[in-house]
Amino acid sequence: MEKYTLKNGIEALIKRNKNTPRIALAMYMGINKDETKSGIYYIISQLMYQGTKTITAEQIANYLDENAIDLCIEKKADYIRVKLQCLNEDIEKALEIFDDIIENSTFEEYKKEAEKIKGEFLSDLDSAKITAQDNYYRNIFKNHSYGTGREEILNDINKITKEDIINAYNEIKTNSFKNICVIGDVEETVVKELLDKHLKNVKSVHSKDERKKIAPIENKTVSTVEKEDANQAQIFQGWLFPSIYSNEYPVIILLNTILGSSGLSSRLFLELREKQGLAYTVRSVYEPCALGGHFFVYIGTEPKNIKTSISGFDKEITKIMTEYVSDEELENAKNNAIGKRQFYQETNMSEAVLNGYYEFLGLGSSFEEELTEKIKKVTKEEIIQTAKKYYAKPAVISVLAPKKYLTDSGLIC
Amino acid sequence: MENIKKHLINYPYLERPVEIYERENGHKIVFAYKKGGLINISSWVRTGSINENDENNGISHFLEHLMFKGTSTHKAGEFDRTLESRGAIVNAATWKDYTFYYVTIPKGSSDKNFKDTLNLHADMMLDPIIPDNEIGAPFDINDPHITTKRERHVVIEEIRMRKDQPWTQVYNLLNKNLYTSHPYKRDVIGNEQIISQISRETVLEYYKTHYTPNNITTIIAGETEPSEVLPLICSEFDFKGRANAPQKVYDIDKPVNETKTIEEYSKINTGFLMFGYLGPIACDIKTSTILEMICLLLGQGQSSRLYQELIEKPQNPIFNVVSSDYYHFRDGGNIFIDANFKPEKKEDAIEQIKAQIQKLYNTGISETELKKAKKKLKAGFAENSESVSDIGENIGFYMTVCNKLEYVEEYIKVIDEITAEDIKKTAKEYMDINHAVIAVLMPEEYKK
Repeated sequence: MEKYTLKNGIEALIKRNKNTPRIALAMYMGINKDETKSGIYYIISQLMYQGTKTITAEQIANYLDENAIDLCIEKKADYIRVKLQCLNEDIEKALEIFDDIIENSTFEEYKKEAEKIKGEFLSDLDSAKITAQDNYYRNIFKNHSYGTGREEILNDINKITKEDIINAYNEIKTNSFKNICVIGDVEETVVKELLDKHLKNVKSVHSKDERKKIAPIENKTVSTVEKEDANQAQIFQGWLFPSIYSNEYPVIILLNTILGSSGLSSRLFLELREKQGLAYTVRSVYEPCALGGHFFVYIGTEPKNIKTSISGFDKEITKIMTEYVSDEELENAKNNAIGKRQFYQETNMSEAVLNGYYEFLGLGSSFEEELTEKIKKVTKEEIIQTAKKYYAKPAVISVLAPKKYLTDSGLIC
Repeated sequence: MENIKKHLINYPYLERPVEIYERENGHKIVFAYKKGGLINISSWVRTGSINENDENNGISHFLEHLMFKGTSTHKAGEFDRTLESRGAIVNAATWKDYTFYYVTIPKGSSDKNFKDTLNLHADMMLDPIIPDNEIGAPFDINDPHITTKRERHVVIEEIRMRKDQPWTQVYNLLNKNLYTSHPYKRDVIGNEQIISQISRETVLEYYKTHYTPNNITTIIAGETEPSEVLPLICSEFDFKGRANAPQKVYDIDKPVNETKTIEEYSKINTGFLMFGYLGPIACDIKTSTILEMICLLLGQGQSSRLYQELIEKPQNPIFNVVSSDYYHFRDGGNIFIDANFKPEKKEDAIEQIKAQIQKLYNTGISETELKKAKKKLKAGFAENSESVSDIGENIGFYMTVCNKLEYVEEYIKVIDEITAEDIKKTAKEYMDINHAVIAVLMPEEYKK
């Protein structure tokens, strides 16, 4: 992977992967300020498909599809990420439209887009799991942008003005950090020239992150959602955890592997699914963001199992806080976690996304290799210390189920 | 040394031709070369809900779960633990025409990971013991006092999970009304009553009937040399003279005589609907590809007709989501149009979709649309060659559902030969608005 500084000052990681038919580009555009109304950054990401000074939304859509260019613009916790993918021979066509969208989006169609978003979110909220998950995020990141879910956006979206959108976008465009990673079967220097030619006006600035800090969870929080026809209870239980910058990051990767991220052999899977038959899906997730992270366990289970499932979570969490993992389990977890990292870089796009992300966070291009070495060195003492440090803090529990089962399990009176 | 037939297939976007070996017993082994650190080993079995009836519906999928419950030489859990502790992704899937099992694992610096994976995978495929204590005793689904829960309960939880998914609900409603007699009408996962009661003996008998050499294709996608590993695969896949299964033939259903609309209700806020039509058999590659193109033009991507006409252009769109897709099945594919809409506008929503379908076969498509569809289908094939698991899945599909991989060689040529007139004619033949099945899931308050 070669690192180039483009003429516009943006740093670009470029790599040639021979014999791959499609080239992938990932660009990160930092978010430094809190939204004044929920959903501003999300609607920006959607409006970037909706027309520029010279072409309409329909023309953009036709251009992309006629050239088989995949454009995906996503609003994430810390950035807006633009992913662009096309056949190698169409890279210039892809960059042309990419530049036009970044430079010249008009955001004229914001009212119509708001209506579309409302419709999509109402449809999403017909899913019990999405509803419970949004409720979990709302509570684990209380009053913080990381906790903004569909309901918050539905409440605010009609209050968002065109001025709000343009101001927020201009802030991102002129006053935030940006970086690019491009991977495909095209000569690196050719890619650099094309980026210089087509992205000459995009600027990157290392500016201060003015977003609000994440507030600690002072007390255990149980938040319920009643859904009378739910066939399964949806249970999320989580804790605030550190960000990717923490020295504990490699330890937490292993905690997650041991508990529930690793497929068919994790503790939660074996105990709650294989031994107790409580669920089809049970797992743990660690999401590290720039301002902080969280770690949650999830199960979808017959509503009468709510109490048993939460007890099952407690038992496994207590066990990992109080008993050393065996040498064999730790070794297996390390090999598992390190081996899985190859999957994150299998395709040109996954490689561009991962390396672009590390660069965006300022972790450096050798972060992946360093992380692997750090994972190898994690001890069972560090596992127990880290588990105690974070799981002992108050948890947030979000449960969706019919009222009767929420009552029977003592979650509501 | 057994007599093994070999042939080569030029697979678009791969560096080397794919090598296919057919053994005397009918077991097929396929190698797809792709440079990189990951290797995908999978075995595809030619059975799924196509071979089920009202008494055993869901057995293919239940067996898929039970295949992970140990063999004579490896206890339940050993397979997963051994492979996942080396960074592997291990899983399986069941569909109407097939069931497949796969491991994707880092190759490592020696051939140990490959050899061990192959050994464990072949053992799982050939010697599942399905212990009583793993499957669990049959039980009364209405008995609330069951305390010992085993794999039956895991599958029942999967059924419950799907019942809470509106798109799955509307798909199931559509699927069972698309067919009259063909086994495709059943939901692949089955139902709680059958899964709670089905015996271990019935499951084992089903395994013996269908997991036969001529029904299995083993695929290796990654950086391997076939000449070096073929003997090992043959020796690991020792079927010990297992008899082959006769291939069952089913009557193919005809489209409905007149458009049929079925409606169900749920505690939801928006309306979900699916239009469905029966398509040609999977081996009719040309017509299947034309229908893929039709679905792509109708409802895939923001430039598609349905998206532009029903969501982008109207000032007050009644649709939240609209898309179209084509599913390939051995005995006839399915054409789908899916939509989520404002429930108070149900009749309007149905009429607007019908109008778009009618427009397609009355006025046809432009040359620009044709060109776009061709380019996107080809790029889609390129996309499917980017990971070893996608390559394995694509090959598994053709080998299992179409019986041969040669169709892959023809695919690009078939795409190039399709004309705008083919699109119009095929849409008229397969998507007549007077012979559609329409499934609708509405919020409960709309129940009359």
